[in-house]
Amino acid sequence: MNEAPTWAEFVQGWELGVYSPPVLCGVVAGLVLGAIGVFVVLRRMVFVTVALSQASGLGVALSFFAGIHLGIDVHPVVGALAITLATAALFIVRTDRLGLSKEGLLGLIYLGTWAASIIVGEKIAQEAHDIAGILFGTAVLVEPIDVVLVVTVGAVVLAVHALFHRGLVFVAFDPVGAEVQGLPVRVLDLTGWVLLALEVSVATRALGVLPVFAFAVLPAMAALTVIRRRIRWVLVLAAALGALSGGAGYLAAFFLELPVGASQAAVAVVLFLASLLYRLIAGRDRG
Amino acid sequence: MTMLLSCEKLRVGYGGTAILPPIDLAIEPGEFWAVLGRNGSGKTTLFRTLLGLIPPIAGSITKRGPDQRSVYVPQLGSFDDLFPMLAREVVGQGCERGWSFLVPRVREPAAVRSALEEVDALALADRLFRALSEGQKRRVLLARIIASGASLALLDEPTATMDGVAEQEAFEHLDRIRRTRGIAVVVVSHHLGAARRTADHAVFLDREAGVVVVGTPADVVAHPAFVRRYGSTATSGDRSCDE
Repeated sequence: MNEAPTWAEFVQGWELGVYSPPVLCGVVAGLVLGAIGVFVVLRRMVFVTVALSQASGLGVALSFFAGIHLGIDVHPVVGALAITLATAALFIVRTDRLGLSKEGLLGLIYLGTWAASIIVGEKIAQEAHDIAGILFGTAVLVEPIDVVLVVTVGAVVLAVHALFHRGLVFVAFDPVGAEVQGLPVRVLDLTGWVLLALEVSVATRALGVLPVFAFAVLPAMAALTVIRRRIRWVLVLAAALGALSGGAGYLAAFFLELPVGASQAAVAVVLFLASLLYRLIAGRDRG
Repeated sequence: MTMLLSCEKLRVGYGGTAILPPIDLAIEPGEFWAVLGRNGSGKTTLFRTLLGLIPPIAGSITKRGPDQRSVYVPQLGSFDDLFPMLAREVVGQGCERGWSFLVPRVREPAAVRSALEEVDALALADRLFRALSEGQKRRVLLARIIASGASLALLDEPTATMDGVAEQEAFEHLDRIRRTRGIAVVVVSHHLGAARRTADHAVFLDREAGVVVVGTPADVVAHPAFVRRYGSTATSGDRSCDE
């Protein structure tokens, strides 16, 4: 019977630079997605993240297709970013004018990109074993380029979010009022979705769909359950819970020998359940 | 007096199809307009057109100038209860204009506090907006109108969920704001009583009959088209347009 991994082994691996990249990726992606996920949850579009991850996958598949069949060299990261950003732009379509609901649009994007990924995947079958890892990551061993991308894009996303904070809150809370007062509602909408798309795109490649979806939804839900008064503190707590999910999830996976992405998502679930328990004890809004 | 907003032969509708006859009206500072009509009568379409959210099918809307500020207050039900917002933050949103959100703000502008004071809602400043009563929320939104410094306020069914007393109080607040601040107020309302007592102009819409009546509240409720729709008793009582 195998012995359980020890803390000394983890420290040794960390010092060798084996564990630090995936832990850093998990913590930073959890922090960034936790914070911006608050807006995703408040706008009641939690499945946006999954649709964007699927679009990111299509972008990677198309990059391979272009290289194999068209002789055009496109880096998978570039392909993923291009398709994910194009998908994000669709979210500002005024669905009511088309007789569509937002959920309907999400379903259309998810299914469309999923089907396209399978069709394109068939044409590049010989590369399929590599693509699965590139598409959905493993979160166990992360390449240095992924760390750079997740950290750099994360910093940019948080900086722009901080700059646009009041505008994003106003548009999410009262879009018509914001438009009447001359706020650039469509620019703000597009900015919010593009920032999410950027982070989802780079984080999905490094960590996989499951933890990315979990980071973008569960920490925000937990923070909204715990903090009832100030949105800025909701953002701070959601970021902290996201980072905790990413870091503690990796440690749990290491010591309990579990799949990393699933462990990170499971920690986020546990934190959300703890927030519910807190709310039950603390009681309802007192205004 | 300087006209704030005027409509000439304005046709409103969707997809290139007008749903009401041409509308002519001119709104001046300090005026109180009530837009009356049953559900589906075209009130919301007219409102959204006046707000610039949908283009007119024909005719024109002229505003005083590019510096003219408008503010919109949606129905209370349209605010999502998931949002953790304090009352003073909601009022502070009234101060936003264009790209002003890019300018860092350490604390709420002074206009927020004075606006809350003006509607007797200062005690609500640090209360959670979603936890307020309907009447308290309405007062906070009135403070947002004041804080905005707008010359034209458009309110979508501001008293829809209120009882008679609260409704009368809300209309009195609006009346005070327009008299003291010179803000023109346009209100979509189902309730004739308070609107008739407070408004000095009314627009009655009836999409089904293809009728638009513009005039004083007394003229409008005495108009044959209005009487045909609601009966003669509606002209004297506090009835709802949906009754």
